[in-house]
Amino acid sequence: MTRLQRLAGGTILAGIGLGMATGASAATVCFAFQDLETEFWVAGHRAITSTLAEAGHTVIERNANEDANRQLEQVRDCIAQGVDGIILIPQDGESAVTIVAEAQDNDVPIAVFNRPPSDLSRGIIVVADNATIAEQAVDFIAEQALAAAGPDEVLNAIIIVGDLGDPNAIGRKDGFYAAMAKHEGRFNITEVASQWDAATALANLEAAVTANPDVDLLFTSSDFLFPTIRSVFEPRGMWKTVGEEGHVWMAGLDGDATACQLIQTGFVDATGVQDLFFEAEASLNAILAAIEAGEAQPNEVVQDPGFALTTANFGEREMDMWGCVLLADGFLDK
Amino acid sequence: MTANVPAGADPRPEPVRDRALPRSSGRRIGDILFSDYFVLYLSIAYFLALIPFLPTLSTPANLANLLSNMWPLLVVAIGQTFVLTIAGIDLSQGAVAGLTSVAAALLLATAAPVAVLGNAPVWGVFLGETGGLLAGAPGATTIGVALILLIGGLIGLANGLAVAVLRMPAFMVTLVTMIAVGAFAIWLTQSNNIRDLPDNFIALGKGTLVSLYFGEAETSEVARRALHAFVTWPMIIALGVAVAAHIALNRTVFGRYVFAIGINRKTAEISGVPVRRVIVTVFVISAVCAAIASILYTARLETGRPTLGSGNFLLDVIGATVIGGTSLFGGKAKIVWTFFGVLFFVLLSNTLNLMNLSAFHIDMVKGGVILAAAFLDVTRTRLMLERTP
Repeated sequence: MTRLQRLAGGTILAGIGLGMATGASAATVCFAFQDLETEFWVAGHRAITSTLAEAGHTVIERNANEDANRQLEQVRDCIAQGVDGIILIPQDGESAVTIVAEAQDNDVPIAVFNRPPSDLSRGIIVVADNATIAEQAVDFIAEQALAAAGPDEVLNAIIIVGDLGDPNAIGRKDGFYAAMAKHEGRFNITEVASQWDAATALANLEAAVTANPDVDLLFTSSDFLFPTIRSVFEPRGMWKTVGEEGHVWMAGLDGDATACQLIQTGFVDATGVQDLFFEAEASLNAILAAIEAGEAQPNEVVQDPGFALTTANFGEREMDMWGCVLLADGFLDK
Repeated sequence: MTANVPAGADPRPEPVRDRALPRSSGRRIGDILFSDYFVLYLSIAYFLALIPFLPTLSTPANLANLLSNMWPLLVVAIGQTFVLTIAGIDLSQGAVAGLTSVAAALLLATAAPVAVLGNAPVWGVFLGETGGLLAGAPGATTIGVALILLIGGLIGLANGLAVAVLRMPAFMVTLVTMIAVGAFAIWLTQSNNIRDLPDNFIALGKGTLVSLYFGEAETSEVARRALHAFVTWPMIIALGVAVAAHIALNRTVFGRYVFAIGINRKTAEISGVPVRRVIVTVFVISAVCAAIASILYTARLETGRPTLGSGNFLLDVIGATVIGGTSLFGGKAKIVWTFFGVLFFVLLSNTLNLMNLSAFHIDMVKGGVILAAAFLDVTRTRLMLERTP
């Protein structure tokens, strides 16, 4: 049995255990997601759908294809179909507020997975502490970069920010600046906008690196942008492993398989890890418990504390990161 | 063709129908095919055929959803109908919707978070922590809506002038407008959405006038879930736009001019039709319709969104219009056709959702149906000409 299967199995057993403990009958759950454009969402989608199906629940899937209006219509369709509960990955924090209200007004419990509404007071919200996780990851690379530099040397740092309509992106940006604030005057910071879009990130990062090729440190708000960063850095001789002359200290956030591989090979130094399997399990448990209890408007915030996987703790915590589990199971070879 | 096209009808010659003679089944099928109500018949048949397989389809909750999804799309499709009738196309409607959605928020928002919007170029100019320019002002929503329509109208005016005066192709002009206006909307808020719109504005997209309850009155309290909105403000607004558009297109001299230009612009010019003025007006109508639809979408999502109208928005708008029977070649359109086209398109989307198909499969099916509608348009036109003595 592979590690992924064991983890998924654990999630399934937890779901079944919850069902047995509460006597939950088979429920119909609508799983409305905005798209599956990154490893995180693909793995999250797989964990949620397979766990629900294995536990005997019916899953109605709705892919909004990154259209908030379409997602609202899809959720309304789910409600019309008489689903018992909804698990939502919203397009953004603002549309999430409207959709959560729509579900609750119609007495359907709803859980929001990972991307929180801008108003956390309604619905079951499962969210990572993005600011703290980002701060931990950036702390590590900032200290490494400063240790390798001269005592009064001012270094150049880049942050690739996400779509600031997404509260996760704001948290990650705040975490980066909290880490930088501990080393006042030691870093010149350049912000590069990505809007969670690889093409936008590519264009803006190329412009930033062309304007100032002397980059010492880079933090990307999501691991899915590492291939984009590589495509900009490699032709300029900036894609170096740790210990090589010209290595750029790099950290990301998500904890995907690509980031795990890049830490293994020494190109990336740290990444903030969201515990995908914990978040999936927490969403499922909370929504199934609400269905079983007949609770139509459950409100709860479940925090995923997360952690930073670095080259320093890689040996001990590698398999706590979902991306490394996927990598070990050959995810990137499929 | 002259400017004296009969108002209220397809200006092309009606097929001869000899009712005294017994008609073959082929001719009967032809009659249905040429009927104004063909798409309505198709929608009813499709609906009835699927009820045994999709029991949710005919539930009051689903019917309420169908209607709710129909109204904003109908408004924007009506605007596109005018443009297609003059043998043009307006690709900028989605971008107009995005920009006017942002404009609505910049004018009417009652609060805005500095953490999200502090870096936007509009911060401190149009928007602050206390909201937009008109926040708290008396009659803010009325003034805001008027300004939103004005912004839409100005974009339409620019499109119309480029097409009519500079004689540039509508496809190219509106493509450029789509790109430029869409990018401008995103730049204004740096791609961020703006919430905290006033309640009376939100009511334009979600306000209900009549809700229905289907069931026995056993208790004095009815669960919110059991109440279904049927008469809503979006319905009133969309039907109002539809009636006004029907009168303009089928009951006025302006409408005759629109058809005349669509059939043959050169001939219309020679016949004395004020071609430039009509083309400009048509593009203004199209953009204003997009702005009205934007108000409905913005209000139902309770958020000003610069990306509103991106993605498959145009596919839905042009698809619904063409399915209704409006010709891509110009000169053939009715608002009632567009109404039926939107009805069928929304019904199609709804049933594909109820079949639990993926978004990719749904878009593939939609694309196929639009292609079939375009083919049907060509076939209908050819058969109509063959029937004409």
